[in-house]
Amino acid sequence: MAAFPSVEWFNAVRERYNSDETLHTGGGGPCEAKAALCIGDHIYLLEFEGFECAEIRQIDRNDIDHVDFCLDMPLYEWVDMVNNIQQHGEADLHHTLSTMDLELEEGLARAPGDDQYKMDLFYRYNQNFQDFFNASAGVPTTITVMD
Amino acid sequence: MRVSDAPHLDLDTSWMERMGEWGTAAQPGKRGLTLEDIRIGPYGELPEESDNMSGRPRGAAERPEAYRIGGYTVRSKKEIWLDNATFLYEEALQRQWSSATDIPWETIAPLADDIEEAECALCTFFNEVEFVAGDVPARWVANISPDFFEARNVLLAQVQDEARHMDVFRKRALANGGGLTRVTGATSGFIGGIDLSRDFTEMSSRMHVSGEGAVLTMFRMGELVGQNPAEKRMYRLCAQDEARHVAFGIMHLRYLHATAPERHEEIEAYLDEAENLPLAGGTNPAGPQAETSEALAILLGGGKQHYDEGFRILLAIRKRQLKEYMQRVVSAGFGERFENGRSPVPGRIAELS
Repeated sequence: MAAFPSVEWFNAVRERYNSDETLHTGGGGPCEAKAALCIGDHIYLLEFEGFECAEIRQIDRNDIDHVDFCLDMPLYEWVDMVNNIQQHGEADLHHTLSTMDLELEEGLARAPGDDQYKMDLFYRYNQNFQDFFNASAGVPTTITVMD
Repeated sequence: MRVSDAPHLDLDTSWMERMGEWGTAAQPGKRGLTLEDIRIGPYGELPEESDNMSGRPRGAAERPEAYRIGGYTVRSKKEIWLDNATFLYEEALQRQWSSATDIPWETIAPLADDIEEAECALCTFFNEVEFVAGDVPARWVANISPDFFEARNVLLAQVQDEARHMDVFRKRALANGGGLTRVTGATSGFIGGIDLSRDFTEMSSRMHVSGEGAVLTMFRMGELVGQNPAEKRMYRLCAQDEARHVAFGIMHLRYLHATAPERHEEIEAYLDEAENLPLAGGTNPAGPQAETSEALAILLGGGKQHYDEGFRILLAIRKRQLKEYMQRVVSAGFGERFENGRSPVPGRIAELS
């Protein structure tokens, strides 16, 4: 059982995502993007290369300038999303990344330096990121944080 | 039969002396053998000005007697180029999807009449818009010198994308007890006028940056109001394609900004036009005056009875649409207009705050 959020948890999700070939076609094909996931006090780098999620590691706030975009929302929203995916097998209609991005007051996605070209990568590769988080439904998870 | 036994053949093989560069051996990388991988040697060299009127593939040897089969009007690199053309083309090919099998149509269920009508109105609007978005680049492809085939190929892929968008919205309108609504007429005026552009960059700034940038926000809004997984995925996949088209426009403007300072004022004029017409409302379905904005407000609010709440959300998203447009123009290199008072967009964003 992996704890959310942790590198171990993300790597477990990564293995499931990379090994499921049905997720790499039909609009979820190759993807080239680096995203920072800001989850509470922790920041994780999620890097996609071609057909796979190539790397996940923890990074410092100073490293954010080198990513394409950040997904940043309050911790309880992250927990709510992960719980929702665990319960439904995938994000329900109210918990997809794009929906949360538009429903949250401050949005979910932003690009360092407000570079919209980089920000648009979140829209260009949205299915990959959605599939990645949906793959967490198959990862036995414990939530280790409270907000 | 051994070669030594073969009868003597008097073959004219002089054509072998008129090859392109020989001995080329491109190697596939992690993403397969991409167009970027074969941009090597003289095959990767782009002319600043192309005099190739015969359709000769770039790098092939010339044939002096060849007919001038191409009436190419786009023959200058700075008129058409962008630095990531090969990447966008490969991405477009490898991220294709099928409206028939990649949308979970089985998840659609009957909706309240007002919601179904609003969704069908939106689908009708997108049908109209996607016709323009496919027709226009299709018309330009044959005008572009084959020496710049990478950019040409991105446009060809866009035509395929737009055909799929047109068909997926038509399918949605006809899949759940509704149908198409009255044509919105949105493709007259500015949107239809994109097709009147006489210059490629004029067309691209109108279509890719202003028009498709606005539609990208609409597709994302579509996902927000999606009533079932089919609609969510339909809008999400369309938004992915649209973001790629917008990327073409931004990167082309960025290239032109860097290489053609003599055209800056002209580009500013295209942006003036966009900011004073579609982005101000009118044919912008997320704007305050368009018929389709009512459909959106009904969907965002969750029904006619929550129209006011829906319209409040619509205005918030419209603000975001304008902000994203502004940031795209900044990213393309033309951001000064938002600081020197030329653009009305900052003022409109302030009004919406």
